[in-house]
Amino acid sequence: MRRLGRSLLTWQAALWAGSSLVLILGALAIVVFTGGPSTETATATLPQVTATDITYGPEGAPVVVVEYSDFQCEACARFAPMLAALRAKYGDRVRFVSRFFPLINHPYGMLSAQVAYAASLQSKFWEMQDLLYERQSEWSDAPDAYPYFKGYAKGLGLDMSRFRNDLNAQTTKDFITRQMAEGTDAGVNHTPWFVVNGTVLVPNDIADFEALIDAGL
Amino acid sequence: MGRRQRVVRVALVVLALAGFLISFYLTLTHYRNLIPPCYVTSGCESVVTSRYATILGIPLSLIGTIFFAVMFYLGIALITGPPNKVMRAYELLAFAGILVAIVLFLLQAVVLKAYCSYCLGTEAIALSIWAGNLMVASSGDGGAMSEAGSGRQR
Repeated sequence: MRRLGRSLLTWQAALWAGSSLVLILGALAIVVFTGGPSTETATATLPQVTATDITYGPEGAPVVVVEYSDFQCEACARFAPMLAALRAKYGDRVRFVSRFFPLINHPYGMLSAQVAYAASLQSKFWEMQDLLYERQSEWSDAPDAYPYFKGYAKGLGLDMSRFRNDLNAQTTKDFITRQMAEGTDAGVNHTPWFVVNGTVLVPNDIADFEALIDAGL
Repeated sequence: MGRRQRVVRVALVVLALAGFLISFYLTLTHYRNLIPPCYVTSGCESVVTSRYATILGIPLSLIGTIFFAVMFYLGIALITGPPNKVMRAYELLAFAGILVAIVLFLLQAVVLKAYCSYCLGTEAIALSIWAGNLMVASSGDGGAMSEAGSGRQR
C-alpha cells in the first residue's frame, strides 16, 4: 500500500508540476512572441505614388510611408496620433501617402472616406483625417453620421456647397473604390496597413516606424 | 475513473489551457493598449474596444484568464484527487462559464453586430467544458481516487 501511495504521489506531483510548467511556458511564449513589431517584405508591389495620391512631404523623398486606412477602424484611430507625430518630425524628409481602404463591415467606412476625399479637394485632407479619428467614437455609433461630418467640414472652413457636391460625386466614389481594389490586388487585407519603403510593417508603437524610417534616411 | 472518463477529463484540462492562453493573449493586448487590426471578415477590434469589454475597469479577458486557470487546476485536481467538493466547484464554475459565454455571444450577435474570433473561441471552450463535464458526471464518474475509494470499501 505504501509503495502504491508513493507511486500515486509521484504521478500526481509530476502531473501538477508538468501542467503548471505548460501553463507558465504557454503564457511566457505569448508574452515574448506577441511583444515586438513584425515586418515582412511586401509580397506584392503597391501601385506607384502618382500625382493623384494624397501625400504629405517632399516628392522624391528617400523614404515613403504608405498607409491604407479606414476611418471607422479603431486600430487606425489608435495609430493616427503616431502618424501625426511622424509627419511633424519627418515631414520634410519623408513622404507620407494615405490611401483609402473602407471595409464593408464598417457602415460609415465609405462615407467617411468620401468626406476625407472631398476635404482633400480643398487641401484639408490631413486636418479632416485627424478630426475623423479624434472624434471617431462620436460618429461611429451614431444613427446618422453625416451631421457630424458636416460639422467637421464647417469647422475646417470648407466651402460647404463644393464639399457636398464633391462628397456625392461619382468620381469621388470611383477614386476610393479604385484605391481599394488596387490595395486588395497588392495584398492589403486589413487596416491600418503600413508599407515603409516596400516593407510591410505591423507596428506596435511609434518606435517601430522610427526604426524603419531612420534606416532609410 | 474509467479510461473514457479519464480521456474526457484530460481533454477538459487541455481545453481550459487553450481558454487560458486565448484569454491571456487578449488581456495582454488590452494592457499593452493594442487593438487588433480591422479585417473585412472580422469585427474583433469592435468587440475588444466596446464598452462591454470591461467591467468596472477590469477587462473581461482578465476575468476569463482567471476563470480558465481555475478550471485548469480544478480539472487536474479531478484527475488526481478525490472529487466531492472539487467536483461541485467545477460543476458550478462550468455552469457559470456557460451562462457568461451565452451573454457575451448575444452581446456580439445582437448589440455589437460584430464577432471576435478569440471571444468566440473562448465561448466555445466554455461550452465544451460544461458539456464535457456533464457527460462525465452523468456517466457516474468521480475522480481518480474514486476507484481507490471503492477499493477501500471493498
